[in-house]
Amino acid sequence: MKKLLLLLLVTALSTALFFGCGSDDKEKGAIKIGLLCPLTGPYASEGQDMKNIVELLAAKVNEKGGVLGRQIEIILGDDGSNARGASIAAQRLATQGVVGVIGTYGSSNTEATQNTFDESKIIQIANGSTSVRLTEKGLKYFLRTCPRDDSQGVVAYNTLSKMGFNKIAILHDNSSYAKGLADETKALLEKNGKKIVFYDALTPKENDYSTILTKIKRTKPEVVFFTGYYNEAGLLLRQSREMNWKVPFVGGDATNNKDLIKIAGNKAAEGFTCISPPLPQDLLSKEAKEFMSEFKAKFGTTPGSIWSILSGDGFNVLVDAIATKKSTDSDTLVNYLHTEAKDITGLTGKISFNKKGDRVGDVYRKYIVDGSGNFQLQP
Amino acid sequence: MPDFGLIVRQNQRKQDFYAKNYGDIMEFFFQQLTNGLTVGSIYALIALGYTMVYGVLKLINFAHGDLFTIGAFLGLTLLTSLGLTNNIGTVAGVIVLAIMVVALVAIIGALLEKTAYRPLRQSNRLSAVVSALGASIFFQNAIMLIYGARVRVFPQNILPSTAVNIFGLDIPVVRIGVFICSLVMMAGLYLFIQKTKVGTAIRAAAIDQGAAKLMGINVDRVIMIVFMIGPALGGAAGLMVGLYYGKIDFTMGWIYGLKAFTAAILGGIGNIPGAMLGGILLGVIEALGAAYISTAWKDGIAFLVLILILLIRPTGILGERVAEKV
Repeated sequence: MKKLLLLLLVTALSTALFFGCGSDDKEKGAIKIGLLCPLTGPYASEGQDMKNIVELLAAKVNEKGGVLGRQIEIILGDDGSNARGASIAAQRLATQGVVGVIGTYGSSNTEATQNTFDESKIIQIANGSTSVRLTEKGLKYFLRTCPRDDSQGVVAYNTLSKMGFNKIAILHDNSSYAKGLADETKALLEKNGKKIVFYDALTPKENDYSTILTKIKRTKPEVVFFTGYYNEAGLLLRQSREMNWKVPFVGGDATNNKDLIKIAGNKAAEGFTCISPPLPQDLLSKEAKEFMSEFKAKFGTTPGSIWSILSGDGFNVLVDAIATKKSTDSDTLVNYLHTEAKDITGLTGKISFNKKGDRVGDVYRKYIVDGSGNFQLQP
Repeated sequence: MPDFGLIVRQNQRKQDFYAKNYGDIMEFFFQQLTNGLTVGSIYALIALGYTMVYGVLKLINFAHGDLFTIGAFLGLTLLTSLGLTNNIGTVAGVIVLAIMVVALVAIIGALLEKTAYRPLRQSNRLSAVVSALGASIFFQNAIMLIYGARVRVFPQNILPSTAVNIFGLDIPVVRIGVFICSLVMMAGLYLFIQKTKVGTAIRAAAIDQGAAKLMGINVDRVIMIVFMIGPALGGAAGLMVGLYYGKIDFTMGWIYGLKAFTAAILGGIGNIPGAMLGGILLGVIEALGAAYISTAWKDGIAFLVLILILLIRPTGILGERVAEKV
């Protein structure tokens, strides 16, 4: 095993050296775009989708003659679903003459690669990395097509106030994600004169939430906003309906899971609202529908989550920048993306970036559970 | 001339206000009390298994929480594969289901005793505790491998999901059912232990195994019976949790086991009425702590109370008999 690893390392190093020396090729041969994704480990299914999506998009571009008259070559890097693997894969990709890198999935894995790419002046467009701090470091070459964690708070506020609620109960589960979302939303609601009648946490993984429901019921809220996960949300719905309490529930994007409906039962889950990035099958643009049917024809399934599709958006953005600027110089491209680029057509809608590299605009959608137990996208 | 009409009206309004708020305060208190009682009765059922085994063997059966999980999963399998409630009606179906689950979990409990604990009976106590932990890990992983790591859900609509209004309190019918079933089982156990010959043998073995043997009691058989009754009650609790809450997963025994173990200590471990009292008390303390202080601190408050009670009464609330035995 050790020998094999050593052999791999030597091969990797020598290929890296080889490609490093041949940097003149950069101007002539194929344009290389890196894809850093989890092909092994717990997120492997996500990584497989990313690979299929990006390679399919690249094949489509190449069919039409490529960009700037050159073909596109996708260089794969496997991060193994962990930060250490991501860091090694990034170092390898950085030596292979790529213009930019798409990926990766998971904020901490992405974070482990950021400096490597930034120092090598390689554009990185992350897809499934929502942690706020990734774009707060002032890294010039880092962008992302996914929303930030704190943008969900704004969406939650907008959703709740658009639905006309004034007395609101907020419940989280003390996890850093759920508490963050709850705090964010609470601050926005209070700033705008809404009344928070209840703010507290439940203990996740328990079965009986009647105590907390009785307590919330007493404060007579018009709506309960729960920022935790789908298991607890399902139990909350079921037990509140058993208490003859028909208050509407709104959930964050960790509640967008079919298990919620199974736990709550169709009747109790009906009317449950959650805010979440759209599911792959709910992408309504012409480009997205077309791409989905091609993807299905080729691979037999549709991508499992929105996060892998956002890697396709990263690819589209990069190709658009190269085509528009007729250049593969990373400074030119990144300046274009930060300032000039506006409404590039992507699979999840129009894409623009702000100075920090965060995607501008609203990725979130509103879902309501219908009577037959399905999350329905709301227009 | 004061406007008496106004004063009367004001007084009336004040009284109405107090009456309404007093009613509200009482209603809230009793609602939370009933919430705590149902949760507590399930803790109590599981706690009995810990306390009975400890009473006889001085062993904490760490696998007990997992026997509870097995009860829930067996219930799910039998329910969905046999379709009992569809074929013979809800009430009969649930009763048959409960008997089957209880019997199967009792057999598993007896097998556990025979394979994991009996060979270590004469060795030091630490070996048995390690063996118990091993059994717990074994059961948990076996359930995960058989049923998968994801949450499983009982079929909906087997039990009515309505609430009845008693004295202004909305209490779901099934909660009352859970509470009554638990009480009946506990009362049955108490009578069994106090009134029957086998029960007397169990009590005798708990007090002094050597003397019990001299009196012609088959202690091995007594221990076997203890290891059947405890898990049977735990399995029944698991089935009730599955049927009522609907959501089960392979780690559910951990939290319930921890709470039940706490309840057993609170009531005085080794003492059967103590486990019942401890379970119900723990459920009520949790509910009231969450209701009046903070829901996020619910467990913190419950364990703080435990510490305080143990500081005042180190053997637990009803724990004198433990002291006698030493």
